[in-house]
Amino acid sequence: MMNYVRSSPSIPHADYFPQPRSAYGPRHWLSVIRSDVREFFQFWPVLQNMVTQELRTRYQRSVLGFLWTLISPILMMFTLTAVFSQLWGGDWKQYAIYLFAGQVPWSMFVGTLTECSGCIVSNEGLIRKIYLPKLIFPLAKSLINLSTFLFSMVALYVIVWLLGPKFSTAMVLLPVVVGLLTMFALGLGLVLAVMNTFFRDTSHLVGVLLQAWYFATPIIYGQNGLKPAMEARCLYNPAFPFIRMFQLIIRDGQWPSLTLFLAAAVIASVSLGIGYVTFKIHENKLIFRL
Amino acid sequence: MSRSRSTKTSSSSGSDLRVDPRPAEALVELRDVSLRFVTYTDKQYSLKKSALNLLLRREGPPPTNEFWALSDVNLSMHKGERIGILGFNGAGKSTLLRLLARIYTPTSGRLTVKGRVAPLIEMGAGFNPELSGYDNILLNGAMLGIRPREMKKKVEGIYEFTGLREFADLPLKYYSSGMHARLAFAIATEVEPEILLIDEALGVGDVIFVDRAKDRIKQLLAKSNLVVIVSHDLGSLHQMCTRGIWMHEGKVRADAPITDTITQFLTFTQGIDAKAAAAAGLKEFAKAAAESSVLAKAQG
Repeated sequence: MMNYVRSSPSIPHADYFPQPRSAYGPRHWLSVIRSDVREFFQFWPVLQNMVTQELRTRYQRSVLGFLWTLISPILMMFTLTAVFSQLWGGDWKQYAIYLFAGQVPWSMFVGTLTECSGCIVSNEGLIRKIYLPKLIFPLAKSLINLSTFLFSMVALYVIVWLLGPKFSTAMVLLPVVVGLLTMFALGLGLVLAVMNTFFRDTSHLVGVLLQAWYFATPIIYGQNGLKPAMEARCLYNPAFPFIRMFQLIIRDGQWPSLTLFLAAAVIASVSLGIGYVTFKIHENKLIFRL
Repeated sequence: MSRSRSTKTSSSSGSDLRVDPRPAEALVELRDVSLRFVTYTDKQYSLKKSALNLLLRREGPPPTNEFWALSDVNLSMHKGERIGILGFNGAGKSTLLRLLARIYTPTSGRLTVKGRVAPLIEMGAGFNPELSGYDNILLNGAMLGIRPREMKKKVEGIYEFTGLREFADLPLKYYSSGMHARLAFAIATEVEPEILLIDEALGVGDVIFVDRAKDRIKQLLAKSNLVVIVSHDLGSLHQMCTRGIWMHEGKVRADAPITDTITQFLTFTQGIDAKAAAAAGLKEFAKAAAESSVLAKAQG
C-alpha cells in the first residue's frame, strides 16, 4: 500500500518507528481501555444529558407522559395473561407472575438491541460535526432502556405483589442479574451498531431474529417446567440463563444455582468483550460509511 | 520530550518556504499525515447483497473509489499563532480542520493535538434543537469537556456577548440562524480553548467577522492560544492571521507568513490581478497588482 519514503532529512526516522497505525498513540488494548475510561468520565455529563433528554422527549408530547412506560407493559401483560392462561389453563395468577418475570427483562433486552443497532446511523449529524467518543451512543441507548426497565419493573412488581407475593432474600441478587443482562445486551448492541452502519439492512434482520429468539426462549411458555428435550435445547440459548434467573428469583423466590449464575456471567462478559473489541476496531471507519 | 522545530512544508511542492523556528511549544503536530476517503458508489451496500455475493462467488468487495483528501501533510502549529488556511474548493482545507477537531482520524501518519479544541466547523454542531438556549450552553460546554458546574459560571459572559439573555428559556429550534451562530461562537470562545478552529467557508463566518467577534478572537490571542481559520475571504485572512497555509490537492503548497502565502496563491490563480485583489479587500495587493500589470504592459 502506501509506503512513505521520507524525502525530508530534517525529520528523524527512528522517532516513530514502527509507525503507529492510527493517530492517537499506540494501539495497545490496555491503553485503549484506559483512555476510554478517562473519556467516559470526561463525557459523562453529555451522556447524562442524552439519557435524560431522550427520556423526556419520548413521553413529553403524550397526555399521560411518563406513565406510558408503566401503562404499556401492564396492558401487554394483561393481554398476554388473558390469552395464554386461557390457552394453557391453570391458575392465571401464577401465570401472570411467571410472565412478568420473563417478559419485562426481555423487553429491555430487545429494546437495547434494536436501539443500539440504529444508534450510529441516527446520530450521523452529531458524529460528522463534532468529536464525541462513539461509545457514548450505544451506552446512552442501553442506559435509556435500563432506566425504563427499572421503572416498569417497580410498577409491575406492585401489581404482581397483589397476586400473591413471595418476597425472598434471593431478591438481593436481582441488581446483579440486571447488570449482567445489561452487559449481555450492550455487547450484542455494540456489534449490531457497527454492522448496521456497514450494512443498513441489519436492523430489519435483527427485528425478525429477535422475534424468533423470543419464541425460542421460555417466556410465555414453560411455567410448569420444560420437557427434557426443550431443556436441552435451551442450553444453546444464550439468553436462557438470564431469563431463567429472573423467573427463579421473582416467581419462586429461589436462589439460582451456581452453574446458572456462572453461565450468565460468562456469557455476559464474553458478549461485552466481543462487542467492545469489534466496536473499537471499526470505530474510526464508521464516519466514512455515514 | 517536546522538540520545537521549524515548520516544514510538504516536500512535493517546489516552493519550499521555511518559517522561522519558534521557541513556543507546538500545540498541534502533524507528521506525514494522510487521509484517505473511500467513497462507496453503492452506499447502501446490504448484508443481503454481500451474503449473496459470497454464496454465488461473485465479485466480493463493493465497488469503491479511493481518494486521498490529504497526503503527507507535515505541519506544526504553535501557541499564539493565527493560522489562515486557503486554497481552492476541495483542496483539503476543511478536511484538515476536521482532522484537528478529531472528527476524522488520519489513515496514516501521526497527529498530536494538545489542549482543548473548540471547533466552529459547522452550524449547530452539538446543539439540541429541543432544548432551551441555557441547556444548550451547558450541553455544548460538556461536549467541549467543561463540567456543567464550571459552565454555569460562564453563562453570564455568553449572554453578555450574544445579547441572548431574554431568549435563554426558548428552545433552540426557534432561534434564527444568526442567533444560532452567535451562540455557537460565544460558547466556543468563552470556554477559552487552547485551540480554536473556524471554518468560514461553511457559513459560520457571517457573524464571526463582524468586529465584535474579531475583538474576541484578538482577546483569545492575547491569552496566547492557537486559532486556525479556513476561509475564502483573503482580505479577512490577511487582517486576522499571521501565518498562511495554502492547501492544494491535499498537500501543503505553501506555509509562510500570511502575506507571502496570499501572494503566492494570487500569483498562482490569476497572475496578480488588480481587480481580484481589490475585490478581496487587499489594498497592498491591489497596488502590487497594478504595478505588475503596468510592468506587463510595458513588457508586452
